[in-house]
Amino acid sequence: MMRSGTKTQSPYITKKSFRQKVTKVWAYKWLYVMLFPVMAYYIVFKYIPMYGITIAFKDYNVFKGVLESPWCGLKVFQKIMTNKNFWEAIKNTLLLNFTTLIVSFPLTIIVSLMLNEVLSTKFKKITQSILYLPHFISWVVVAGIATNLFSQQGGTINLVLNSIGLPSIPFLSSNGWWIFTYVLCNVWKEIGWGTIIYLAALTGVDESLYEAAYLDGATKFQRLIYITLPSIKSVIVTMLILQISKMMTIGLDAPLLLGNSKVMGVSEVISTYTYRLGIERAKYSDSTAIGLFQSVINIIILLAADKFAKAIGEDGII
Amino acid sequence: MAGTLKKKNKMTVGQAINYLLITLLAFVCLYPFLNVIAYSLSGYNAVLSGRVNFYPIDFNLDAYKQILGKTQIWNSMRTTVYVTVVGTALSLVLTIFASYALSRQDLPGRKFLTGMILFTMYFGGGMIPTFLVVKGVGLFDTLGALFIPQSVNVFNFIVMRTFFRNLPDSLEEAARIDGASYVQVLVKIVLPLSLPIIATIGLFYAVGYWNTYFDALLYIQDPDKYTLQLRLRSLLFGEELNNSNSNLEGMGTQVMTQSLKMATVAVSTIPILVVYPWLQKYFVKGVMIGSVKG
Repeated sequence: MMRSGTKTQSPYITKKSFRQKVTKVWAYKWLYVMLFPVMAYYIVFKYIPMYGITIAFKDYNVFKGVLESPWCGLKVFQKIMTNKNFWEAIKNTLLLNFTTLIVSFPLTIIVSLMLNEVLSTKFKKITQSILYLPHFISWVVVAGIATNLFSQQGGTINLVLNSIGLPSIPFLSSNGWWIFTYVLCNVWKEIGWGTIIYLAALTGVDESLYEAAYLDGATKFQRLIYITLPSIKSVIVTMLILQISKMMTIGLDAPLLLGNSKVMGVSEVISTYTYRLGIERAKYSDSTAIGLFQSVINIIILLAADKFAKAIGEDGII
Repeated sequence: MAGTLKKKNKMTVGQAINYLLITLLAFVCLYPFLNVIAYSLSGYNAVLSGRVNFYPIDFNLDAYKQILGKTQIWNSMRTTVYVTVVGTALSLVLTIFASYALSRQDLPGRKFLTGMILFTMYFGGGMIPTFLVVKGVGLFDTLGALFIPQSVNVFNFIVMRTFFRNLPDSLEEAARIDGASYVQVLVKIVLPLSLPIIATIGLFYAVGYWNTYFDALLYIQDPDKYTLQLRLRSLLFGEELNNSNSNLEGMGTQVMTQSLKMATVAVSTIPILVVYPWLQKYFVKGVMIGSVKG
């Protein structure tokens, strides 16, 4: 936050300057009136919950509430840190995020490059519209469709496999295949949407470079490697750092809706674990402590990633 | 020149393969939708014998007739429409207020207030503390819980503020000199110039509210207040999901036929599919503005 103004101010704060200040603020009264409900919203629904984090250090009692419950130090943290399920959830979060990143990151760039090569604007427009569409579909619907396609009995994919004499695949009920299905659904949903940013960067590539390379006899592939990729390198790096900084964060919808009792060993991630612990089993303190742990790790990763980005000469991400 | 190089290239084998692959990818993106529609329109026996893939067999509308006869679905549809409309309106008004006020570079306290908003992007109370606050202010099990606690989105705020900042200052200054108040400037000058961005942000909010299911899962208990997504979830996966041992496999065939399930999926997705083609370009624009750092 910038507070430089106070330091350079003259030490004689006269009545006049105070009045000037008031007059200045008064001139903006309507803007403050507009800001009032917004700031009230942020205080009530964002900042008061931040105070609520204190229950991670308290023995929370429903009848006493957040303020009155007795403090208990780090007892809750000790409890969750020694819980096997907690570490399992962290492991699964990293596993699912990492696998998704490994698959979707290069694929998104490849699809962007492919779309960029399309000459017909009409074809490009239509395919882009289709590729962006899944992004707007809710996870409930995606999970519903996935069940219809992938379930072991009566799933369309398995019926097709059976009809050509192959055995059914337990897409949703064996750990390994479940990860495959989870990644597939994620990639299906977001790959098109992810290309937008690269396509924007690709339109900024200087055409004269291609022209020159073409005249020098560079092949299409050489132009791709020596012109296109270096031109969008900084976008690629920034996106990668941004995604890595989100490694510990995972949406709750996908694992909760695609998951089932058979694959809990891989589908139970931090968000679903917090939900089950906090809401279903009403262990408010434990759940909050896990949330806090996750937030702190997130901030550490984010700051580190930002530093790293600046160190290698890219824009920061904060 | 941009055009010359491209014109020199006739359709090569590489190009053809590229077109083919993209077409294939587009098909993969569309296929699940075709599958849903095919199931929802197919006859009972065709579905049971597993002959349905991406076009309907024994075409009929029975599943849709059944669904539209269910009051539950209509109720949920009404709830979702209400939440989407009221939520989007509230979100838009608040986001416009915040972005307009904080886009004024000269507003005293601007940095502090903006910082307060941006900070929530990186740190938050988390699920339970937020849940307790929502309960504490009496929103639990009311429809208000589905939009009031998430009415201003930081990303949308950044996008809109960037847009307002990039409007030509001269117009506003002229109006200010003529004695127009900030409210008048906002209503008469800024808003008419900002219709595209308002459409974009409005759509981001609307799609978000339409698709939201986790907030409903957290805050709504009364089945009469179920949103469409929540209803859909309980119809598709059974209520078991709540008890952490949901079972996607082999369940529900007796409770609800595949056709019926897929027709429900179709009904809850159609509104998005209908508005999508017209609005897609706005979404893309929004992402682009958002990616430029605010």
